Amino acid sequence: MLYRVMDKRELPALVRAFMESYEVVAPVKRGSGYIFDVIGSPEEIELDYTQTASSPKKYLMPPTETLMKFDANMNLVEDFIEQVTPRVIFGVHTCDINALNRLDVALIGGKYVDPYYQARRDATIVVGISCVPNENCFCHLWGADEAQFGYDLFLHDIGDKYLVSMSNVEATNILEAACELSEATDEDRIAFRQATRVRQSAFNKDIPDVQDVAMLMDVFHSDPFWEELGKKCLSCSACASVCPTCFCFDIRDVLTPDGKTGERQRTWDACTNPGFAMVTGGHNFRPTGRERVRHRMYHKLNGFFVNHDRMLCVGCGRCVTACKTGINPIEVLRFFKRKGADHAK
Amino acid sequence: MGAFSLITDTERRVPRVVVVGLASCFGCQLQITNAEQYLMQILGQIDLQYWQLVTSEDMPDQYDVAIIEGAVTTRESEETCKAVRAKAAHVMAIGACATTAGVTGMAMPGLDGRIAEVYGDGLPDASGEFIAPRPVSAVIPVDSEVRCCPIDPLDFVAMLQRALFGSNRSLDTRTLCSDCKRNETECFYNSGTLCLGLVTRAGCGARCVNLGRPCNGCAGLSPDANLDAARAACDTYGVSRADFDKALEMFNQVNPVLAESGDE
Repeated sequence: MLYRVMDKRELPALVRAFMESYEVVAPVKRGSGYIFDVIGSPEEIELDYTQTASSPKKYLMPPTETLMKFDANMNLVEDFIEQVTPRVIFGVHTCDINALNRLDVALIGGKYVDPYYQARRDATIVVGISCVPNENCFCHLWGADEAQFGYDLFLHDIGDKYLVSMSNVEATNILEAACELSEATDEDRIAFRQATRVRQSAFNKDIPDVQDVAMLMDVFHSDPFWEELGKKCLSCSACASVCPTCFCFDIRDVLTPDGKTGERQRTWDACTNPGFAMVTGGHNFRPTGRERVRHRMYHKLNGFFVNHDRMLCVGCGRCVTACKTGINPIEVLRFFKRKGADHAK
Repeated sequence: MGAFSLITDTERRVPRVVVVGLASCFGCQLQITNAEQYLMQILGQIDLQYWQLVTSEDMPDQYDVAIIEGAVTTRESEETCKAVRAKAAHVMAIGACATTAGVTGMAMPGLDGRIAEVYGDGLPDASGEFIAPRPVSAVIPVDSEVRCCPIDPLDFVAMLQRALFGSNRSLDTRTLCSDCKRNETECFYNSGTLCLGLVTRAGCGARCVNLGRPCNGCAGLSPDANLDAARAACDTYGVSRADFDKALEMFNQVNPVLAESGDE
């Protein structure tokens, strides 16, 4: 990977350079937390943010989007790809970059490409930023604590400078035109190594590191644990709303008030919604919290892994905060840890 | 009953619609007029035969769609519902009163005493014969519902179109919190503030929370509401269980689920 060193004082110049030809979204303060939002000036950016409430997924797969429009007067159907805004998502943590890579696998990596997602992904520049984990972060357990690809620039914080990884020509050109870059010195290299050590040692050690999680999901499929966990589910799907990798959706037609025209919309859906697995005739394949919560964890920690060689969970920890009853993958890991302790007796 | 027969009917004629008001503030009927920008378009799709809010005439004998606002609180309104059900191909309940018994349901505890307290011995004949307040769905099968207090005018329009033309839109029973996550508003529980979104049916888009107010549950309990888990969440976040249960009474007083799961 090509890399250069940039003085932190140059950061506003880089952001302003992006703002000339892109909409720039970045972490900003909202209430007591942070969200990704469109910025009007570089000063709004909070690069020291811990975690945003929701992920940058919303810019690639919006909560609700138009798929096509129809007009009964004209007997017309109009294919529709929303005018895609060329956009820079600035200040993305590795968990979220890895989440985008997983969305890529699911939505554009297979035989049938999602043109809506593809159009937005192609028009998006991702600028990553290194971070220090908070108490809910467990990206390291799924190998999502490093971004090997999926970004255009990545800013590694090394004190008063950034070590910048560059993987895209367009973004690199903007960077080089806007900022004075230098070759890394030995001092910079040591600073980078120190930063990686600080980061590595900052993960919450109370979150168990368990081997063979995907297989354990199969092995303990019928354990009473799932009943306990499912009984706590509020059926709100807050977890799926904040999840950077949940990509399930529903499709519906929405009429304008005159009843003659309308549009087909795609909107986020989730396997935790009670009606998600209901089929024609009224049968629900996952009628209770037990089946729904287990299914969600299965897709995150087993199903995607056995098909795509990586967990669908990236350990961002958002659901740990979002779920008011404490349902999250950490609880699943703790369950497996307890099973290990049982065995030792 | 239901949308199917209605659709075949509409091939022959414009659907005849009536709007009936039971025990309520009539605010949801009024809300319909707040879709004023679209009223003419909506009226172009139906044959509006009766609207209780704006007429002193009697109901017509025949109609296809009946829209009922308000809770059932008297023997007479119970009979009205049954008569409507016998005639209408599609019955739609609108507003919290019609869908949950709403605010009128709060009269439930000690109902008899309350009536005497208000009317003394002089209960007017026009009041009718009081019965325990209940939603329309407790009296007759209802085909569709527009929830909240008051209803959103465009929610109503969308539901009316569903009745007229059918719809491929699935109606969700999840609770509200995922909408707050989509809106990226701060959860009230994080600051120890009571909010009924944990158990209230989604659909409104969490608009009160967007305006800085906790959910007061006007859409009613979700059929999948998990009251035990919500009360446990109250404990975790320092919200009183008693306050939570009390707040639920405003729009769910007569919901049998609430009565069954009462917290000791």
